[in-house]
Amino acid sequence: MRVSPLVDLSQYLPILIFLVIAAGLSAAFVFLPMGVAHLTGAHNPNAEKLSEYECGFPAFEDPRSQFDVRFYLLAMLFIIFDLEAAFLFPWAVSLDLTGWPGWITMMVFLFELAIGLAYAWKKGALEWE
Amino acid sequence: MIQTLAFYLFAAMVIASAALTILARNPVHSVMWLISSFFNAAGLMIIIGAEFIAMLLVIVYVGAVAVLFLFIVMMLNIDFAELRAGFMKNFPVGIAIALVLLAELVLGIGAYRAGALELGVPDGSAAPILGASNIENIGALMYGRYLFLFETAGLILLVAMIGAIVLTHREQRAPRGHQNIAKQIARQPEDAIVNTKPEVGKGVQL
Repeated sequence: MRVSPLVDLSQYLPILIFLVIAAGLSAAFVFLPMGVAHLTGAHNPNAEKLSEYECGFPAFEDPRSQFDVRFYLLAMLFIIFDLEAAFLFPWAVSLDLTGWPGWITMMVFLFELAIGLAYAWKKGALEWE
Repeated sequence: MIQTLAFYLFAAMVIASAALTILARNPVHSVMWLISSFFNAAGLMIIIGAEFIAMLLVIVYVGAVAVLFLFIVMMLNIDFAELRAGFMKNFPVGIAIALVLLAELVLGIGAYRAGALELGVPDGSAAPILGASNIENIGALMYGRYLFLFETAGLILLVAMIGAIVLTHREQRAPRGHQNIAKQIARQPEDAIVNTKPEVGKGVQL
């Protein structure tokens, strides 16, 4: 079963060309120096040469330090308001199709999230300190 | 032609990124591969004509969900050596869970093939409006036919927000003393300093 596409995909062709060029350029920048160095340079590593002494000192600890749990709360609030903003786009363009019921729906939705925002504000979840 | 090529490119990238998400040893690298697979899935969505879903994938999944995953990975202080040490011990349990999931998949597909699942016939009430763009169609359905489900989604978001705050928000540990500026300015020398002339052998009444 073949469904006729809803959108004209030829509009995306410039983006595809751009992606292909970007991928090709970044691959060239990564692999060309590696290839040139491999072909022209001498490659004979030894344990002393590869030790940290050549460029600093051994690491004291894992570079991945533990994050504060408050970042999680911020990311969670960000997701929710990000979704709210994403829902606003189809609502705004289809308002002449949905009319007043659609408008009231979105206002109720915004009110629900405004309650959440007020709660977060009151609890001090937006404060860092 | 180009569409087919792009489809195979994006599909192969999605599968490769998903496989690397599972196989990467470092969880941070896993999240990066997950972001790559989200991007390629957005490309697939554009090919089938779901432009708005593609943009949502980039905005919500890459922009917010992947960041949340990164924060969680950074917050859990995972000891990889310890994790790998428990691998052989938990291996039978993992295999058992995988087998159960595989059996569910096989049973579900088998039931669907045998016609046991009634998926219903489209009655045309949710058909796309001709001449309207993808995002307009989504808006017309979401804020028309499915508006109660949309409000429920809003309530779920509210519950998620309150739950996150209740679970992770810590009250100020010890109040460090609130500064009352008016009280500080109103303080006079007479309130703070007492000038006494104590007699010898007698103390000072403070």
